[in-house]
Amino acid sequence: MLKSLCYIFLFLILGEFIKYLFNIPIAGNIFGMVLIFLALKTKLIKLSTVKPASDKLLKYMVLFFVPYGVGLMVHFDVLKEHWLSIILVVIASTVITLYVTAFTQQRLEKK
Amino acid sequence: MSEFISQPVVWVFLTLAVYFLSQLLHIRLKWVLTSPILITILILILVLVLFNIEFEVYNTGGKYISFFLGPSVVALGVLFYENYEEIKNNIKPFLIAVTLGGLTSVFSVVFILSLLHSPDYLIRSLIPKSVTTPIAIEISKSISGLPSVTAGVVITVGIFGNAFGFYILKFLGIKSKSAIGSALGTASHGIGTARALEESEISGIYSGLALCVNGCLTALLLPYLITWISII
Repeated sequence: MLKSLCYIFLFLILGEFIKYLFNIPIAGNIFGMVLIFLALKTKLIKLSTVKPASDKLLKYMVLFFVPYGVGLMVHFDVLKEHWLSIILVVIASTVITLYVTAFTQQRLEKK
Repeated sequence: MSEFISQPVVWVFLTLAVYFLSQLLHIRLKWVLTSPILITILILILVLVLFNIEFEVYNTGGKYISFFLGPSVVALGVLFYENYEEIKNNIKPFLIAVTLGGLTSVFSVVFILSLLHSPDYLIRSLIPKSVTTPIAIEISKSISGLPSVTAGVVITVGIFGNAFGFYILKFLGIKSKSAIGSALGTASHGIGTARALEESEISGIYSGLALCVNGCLTALLLPYLITWISII
């Protein structure tokens, strides 16, 4: 567990370092995610080395974004002013996205 | 009293306890609106508002919990690898579908909100609405949206996709289990994936992979796409 957690943080730091080095407007942890995938794919590290910690992190991921959700209380005025637009976008854009994705894949699979 | 409640441990404990109890409630009721994340956030906001406590005070403890979002995003890369191994032979249709779906999500949000004359900051906060919450928060930060508004909307999108996504797709004539999975993962991230897993294992795998790919693509492209969109 400790070893796999070290690996996860190592890739997180590598990602942050890339962001710092090239001054890219993308979060460092995104690069960490891409790097750990590439390291697994090229067999640089083994799945069993990182799986214990990553499984635990994924299991509790929902808990980790609770504070951001609570932060919504600071923006009540935004919700009050724009609730109708927000609901409209949530419904319309989600339905279109669902359909475009599913339709495309179903079409291409049949060939 | 105000000295006592400004200790981080108070808020770490309360968050853990409320989340734990919300999970128990959800296991009992199994209703989509009792989703633990939704109930936890609502109860915590209610407590803070009732006792007239500022969010900054809560976040002295809250920040220790959200700190783990960083490593969790890295862990998504591991999940991505595990699922990838399972669908290697169907990768092309899958990647095309998720890319098109992800772009559709971004452009439909910009299009609809522009029609409604919404302010720029709202568009920036809502653009990553289909991406998994931890990545959406990062995207929102990097394109100057309001990360908390993003988190709230992303969770709402997930719950909507979880509750109705499957029926909408069936109604629109989608039969392929893998396509249903990819669509739920692309449009409504992890909360939608939970529903895909209930439908079938194959839908669940595609959905999990779709949420990783869409999150990754959107995070990498959006900071550049948004400068392009605002030029138009």
